[in-house]
Amino acid sequence: MRDSTSAVLGALPSRPVLQREDVARNVLRWFAYVFVALALLFAVIAQVHGDVFFFRLATEALIYGGFAMGVDLLLGYTGLLSLGHALFFGLGAYTSAVVLKGLAPSFWLALAVTLCVSTVVGAIAGIIAIRARGVYFALITFGMAEVLAKAVFNTQELGGSDGIIGVPVIKANFLFFTVDTGNAAHFFFLVLAVIMVFYFALEALLRTPFGRLVVAIKANEDRVPFLGFNAQRHKLGIFVIAANVTALSGALYPMLRGFVSPELLYFHSSGNAVITVILGGVGTLIGPLFGSVILTGLKSIIGSYTEHHLIVIGLLFMCSVMFFPKGIVGSLKGLVESWLARRKEQS
Amino acid sequence: MSGFIDTLQFVFAPQIINGLSIGVAVVLMALGLTIIFGLLDVINMAHGEFYALGAYVGVTLMAIGVNFWVVLLLVPLIMAPLGYMTERLFIQRVFHQKDRHILTLLLTFGLAIVLEDVYKLIYGPQALSVKTPIGGGSEVLGVFFPNYRLFLMAIGAVIIVGVWLLVYRTSLGAMVRAAAFDKDMASSLGVPVSHVYAGTFAFGVALAGLAGVLLAPVYSVFPTMGKDFILLAFSVVIVGGLGSIKGALIAGLVLTQIQAISSLYISPSWTDPLVFAIMVAVLMIRPQGLFGRLGHA
Amino acid sequence: MNSSQLFCRMLLTALAAGFSGIASAQPAEPIKIGVLTPLSGTYASLGQQVRWGIELATKEINDAGGIMGRKVELLFEDEEANPAVATPKAEKLFQVSKVDFLTGTVSSASTLAVGQVAERNDRLMATTVSFSDAITGDKCSPNVFRVNAKAGQQSVALAEWLSKAKPDAKVFYLGPDYEMGRSTVHAFKAAAEAKGAKTVGEVFAPLDNKDYSPFFGQIRAARPNVMYTSVAGNDTVRLFNQMSEYGLLRNLTVVGASGTVTSQNLGAMGKNAEGFTTGVGYSVDLDIPENKKFVAAFEAAYKAAPDLYGADSYGVMYFYKAAVEKAHSTDTAKVRAAMEGLAWMTPQGKKTMRAGDHQAVQDMYVTSLKDGRFKVLSKVDGAAAIGPDTCKRF
Repeated sequence: MRDSTSAVLGALPSRPVLQREDVARNVLRWFAYVFVALALLFAVIAQVHGDVFFFRLATEALIYGGFAMGVDLLLGYTGLLSLGHALFFGLGAYTSAVVLKGLAPSFWLALAVTLCVSTVVGAIAGIIAIRARGVYFALITFGMAEVLAKAVFNTQELGGSDGIIGVPVIKANFLFFTVDTGNAAHFFFLVLAVIMVFYFALEALLRTPFGRLVVAIKANEDRVPFLGFNAQRHKLGIFVIAANVTALSGALYPMLRGFVSPELLYFHSSGNAVITVILGGVGTLIGPLFGSVILTGLKSIIGSYTEHHLIVIGLLFMCSVMFFPKGIVGSLKGLVESWLARRKEQS
Repeated sequence: MSGFIDTLQFVFAPQIINGLSIGVAVVLMALGLTIIFGLLDVINMAHGEFYALGAYVGVTLMAIGVNFWVVLLLVPLIMAPLGYMTERLFIQRVFHQKDRHILTLLLTFGLAIVLEDVYKLIYGPQALSVKTPIGGGSEVLGVFFPNYRLFLMAIGAVIIVGVWLLVYRTSLGAMVRAAAFDKDMASSLGVPVSHVYAGTFAFGVALAGLAGVLLAPVYSVFPTMGKDFILLAFSVVIVGGLGSIKGALIAGLVLTQIQAISSLYISPSWTDPLVFAIMVAVLMIRPQGLFGRLGHA
Repeated sequence: MNSSQLFCRMLLTALAAGFSGIASAQPAEPIKIGVLTPLSGTYASLGQQVRWGIELATKEINDAGGIMGRKVELLFEDEEANPAVATPKAEKLFQVSKVDFLTGTVSSASTLAVGQVAERNDRLMATTVSFSDAITGDKCSPNVFRVNAKAGQQSVALAEWLSKAKPDAKVFYLGPDYEMGRSTVHAFKAAAEAKGAKTVGEVFAPLDNKDYSPFFGQIRAARPNVMYTSVAGNDTVRLFNQMSEYGLLRNLTVVGASGTVTSQNLGAMGKNAEGFTTGVGYSVDLDIPENKKFVAAFEAAYKAAPDLYGADSYGVMYFYKAAVEKAHSTDTAKVRAAMEGLAWMTPQGKKTMRAGDHQAVQDMYVTSLKDGRFKVLSKVDGAAAIGPDTCKRF
């Protein structure tokens, strides 16, 4: 099989042209499959031990991974650092809690209402935020999250500083079977499925012309209008999508824990997501999922020795920013790609 | 009529004066932040933690018997080399890369997380109270005020004037402004730019540490104290204009006055989101803030 | 007992456990009780008293042979006065440590949240501190019991006193902004207004607030002659000291919730707290023989005086013991049935657990701080103070 680059020059290729980005995306897809395989392996081991605690912990890791995917979509692909993404995570969590507790204990209704609310809020927030670039974008998103956090904290109807407790355990209806969110193992599988659906949907989105344009915006935003495209509209679109992914992940949180509190909206939460993305691998989408699992695991392990796990995680994060800005998956992906390239040369 | 004057004297005046004492403290914090951004283009997310560090160092010194006034002089002298080292060791590493804005933001954010937990580790999560060095109160315009807060206003004003003079009236300040305006030109004119960078960062950090000690008797010292204050400081810096000293001063005083007066009508807990909302509005309408940048203003 | 006696006892217990494993039904496994209380943060001093009270009672119970021959084992976790932290820790205590009973929650919000966890795990819990009326009112739970006095009981006594001491009261309310703060303010406001007091202002400050001066503007504008506050722990210290610094304590009568000023934070406030009056279910000076014995044992063990939290936490262990002994089992349903209507001995005399809402009935007192000690001014009978049963769930 001839090398892809020579196929570009000239005659109609008999196979679709494989650009370097496509190779990269395929490699990432393999990482995604590995992730799912590891998750299933974990599930089998945990089920055998009849465990509940670790299933719930893993589910939480997945939910936060979904949160981080939204951040990665903005940072890794559009070049926008969102320091206030907890706004959407908290928005999704609170909306879901209010629906489940106040309206009806329905899984689909909670997700649907969350999607509507986050699209609207995402659009408004997006219009406010995307006028600014770089550091100012980060500060605006940071400011918006703070305003919402304090507002929710002060609002008694949303539970004030105590949050909303008493979210009921529900059964998610899937036509042929139902999943009981109270069952730790079943809910884990449900969340895994949901998060992977998000991943593959986003991944497919990024292969479309829309997705490619978004990446072009990151590369050089000023040139895009000269190519005939409206950068602002695309940025807004991606912002809303990122908001939705994070909000829907947040909607799963009260189903797991039975409560929501203003802490979910604080800067600490946004910051965690950013750390997850950087450690996992910015611009890879699957990196944040790995990052979230690793971070949750680290916190748990270090947490059993000392309360001060943040020192270790903070130092790891700083090292990553200084020496390994591509993160774990990013660096591994580079290794795999060069290995593949060498194999191709040899064949 | 007399009822109105009465209200003015007993209700509004104390709020305004109290707001001034808080405002001066916020301006001190914001000054360091804005100078660091104005020159280095670095958003120092760890600024609040340096503020806390100053307070903790102060508490430690006072615990071994050092007098408060001596501590006030010592802390900036201790903080400055720490700031210098932070700049050389950490910030410089990512400074010359393309995504430097985001990378330095993330790096200082990571540093902030580590520092906060270090404080918790060494000193524990409980708030440590510091005895007010000037006790008692005085009548100002017929209302009783703690003397220490009046002192804070005075010393804060002195420091702010001092910083302004330093930046705009000395050759050291001129070097800093030159490096901010055009670093290559300044370098070719003999300004030691990398030392200026590190030195400016050190200065900003020292200011934050000094603010930490000054405010310790009012707010007590606890691991999350940096986080509480930094949000307000950022709002001030953004509204005033990232990099503008004049902006930090005016925005700091105005925003804290808005907080003080509005707390008469809404619960004081809502004055913080109010300030953040103002910040977001300013970012939308005039992202460069009220005034320009250091070197450009 | 000395170490060789202890060793023999352990040896015998181990042998007995071994043999009973072969011979009969239950090994003498310890009864595990989870204590989820603030060990850090603003309310750490309250958690300290809770811990002391529970440990003292546990030691006495274990020394006397335990509950039905089983030793009591305590497992401590830090709730940080935060329901988001308390809930996963409660789950851990129930599921991983497998505790039979849980107590120690201080924050009313944590008590409510942990109560839900208890229901999900089919276990019982009791609070010894939380004031919020909702816990045994509209948010009551079949798995939650309260051995201390709620906000409503405190308010009845205090409002009665206020209407006599200051008939022309203009009251300003300042409470911490969470479940307990809001419910205590609400309860006292209702009781005081019913007796003719006027409300001139109400504001809530965040828990752990450092600087109260922004709140003084509204106080100055309202010109009250009475202030009611339900802050606690370090917040009280800051509030009172700052009010004194700003000259606001002049010509102001300060009243508040039971836990606002206690032996734990009194030292830091000194004369700034002088004159503080409250309605409370316990005082160190109570002239009851059980109390004198309790105070002596407490001071000997911890070199500190007990406050209402220490006393009530001491009482909860005996409450549980009495219930288990009455039920002859630690099974949740049986113990619950035994607890409802149970009367047991505490440092405050005999308390009864009302079956309808799981609220303890006890006598209430009005005390005032004079020269650093709480003096009892008046007393209200338990039945008069308890108020109606508003719990509809069971």
